[in-house]
Amino acid sequence: MDYLYRHYSGALYGVILRVIKNEDIAQEVLQDSFLKIWDKIETYDPSKGKLFTWMLNVTRNLAIDKTRSKEMSKGKKTDDIDPLVNRIDGRKYSTQQEETIGLKEVLNRLPEEQKFVVEHLYLKGYTQSELAEEFSIPLGTVKTRTRLALIELRTILKEN
Amino acid sequence: MNITEYISSGILEAYVLGELTDAERAAVEKNLAQYPELRKELTRIEETNESLWMQLAVEPPASVKAKVMEAITPKGKVVQMQTSPVLRWKYAAAASIVVAVGAMYLAYDYHAKWKNSEFALNGLIAQNQQIAQDYNRVNLRLDKMENDLHVIDNPAFTKVIMKGTPNAPQAVASVYWNKQTKEIFLSIQNLRELSQQNQYQLWAEIDGKMVDAGVFDGNIAGLVKMKNVDKSTVTVFAVTIEPRGGKPTPTVETLQVAGSVIKS
Repeated sequence: MDYLYRHYSGALYGVILRVIKNEDIAQEVLQDSFLKIWDKIETYDPSKGKLFTWMLNVTRNLAIDKTRSKEMSKGKKTDDIDPLVNRIDGRKYSTQQEETIGLKEVLNRLPEEQKFVVEHLYLKGYTQSELAEEFSIPLGTVKTRTRLALIELRTILKEN
Repeated sequence: MNITEYISSGILEAYVLGELTDAERAAVEKNLAQYPELRKELTRIEETNESLWMQLAVEPPASVKAKVMEAITPKGKVVQMQTSPVLRWKYAAAASIVVAVGAMYLAYDYHAKWKNSEFALNGLIAQNQQIAQDYNRVNLRLDKMENDLHVIDNPAFTKVIMKGTPNAPQAVASVYWNKQTKEIFLSIQNLRELSQQNQYQLWAEIDGKMVDAGVFDGNIAGLVKMKNVDKSTVTVFAVTIEPRGGKPTPTVETLQVAGSVIKS
């Protein structure tokens, strides 16, 4: 547990913060996530994917459930995001900050429509269906763009 | 099932991002078990996804870890004994409660320890997979570098340095050309990244005509083998930008680098 926490808590907290903009609630969700992971570890099946993917999905679902229970409105989501994401990224976690800047440069190398999708899915905490609905893009298009963007990112990240 | 179409629909990405309904997820899992290519592609997607989230990591405050650890650490229970005068059966009852609580505690404790081992094991398996992957990657790179070195070191290969044209003054690339075997290898020193739609195309000028010598991407490392040209009278090598897959004749306006073969 100690290893998993040390290794993955940062990434999972990042995931939660992008869905839930309140740090206190996000910390609660992170704690709940690790307890749920702890509780359900027997149900993790390596043939269905990597451990991180499983943990990510447990965490993300809890975070999304939390926002639904709080009945956060969609409109509020878009308005509040930018300053908050900047605030999170502007923290004094020096290494993380550098890496985030690195990631922004990487994103700038993507074609505009792919960059848009990655920014919303990864930086702004959207789900694919929310993205499709809010910007009136067919869900299938969102999916193929996500795929193209990840292929492109795979090559870019490999170089670095 | 058409695997390529299935993959390019982006369904595996949606699966990794947890976007699918239970029924869709079950269908994907069934396919994963059936088609190894899908499983391979899934791992690639998962790796990219994981490294993206790792780059976006935010350190949570230490208090969260303390709470998590506290919640999963087993606690003993204190049993209060009565000191007032009691009958024998009360002692017996009390003793049996102690035994029961003790057993419960032990069961709980073992359960927790077992879970901890399971966690440690999963952690180690994940680490192990990572190390094996890294090892393979390094091994592949080493093989490639050794092969590259054989070409660079071989006197039968002529090196032609192609310098940037006014279109791309900073660009540089080189060709290693073996006149006997007609083999051509290309190495990039500095070429800009291209979009998915385009590729670089290498041309060999033979008797005043530009002959296709194959296409390549802008992000390759080390030497890449190009198409053989069947004449040994190449005078110039040049590179243009063309639509992915290349064209039969060069688009001169996109000329990036060029270099003449020095007669030896």
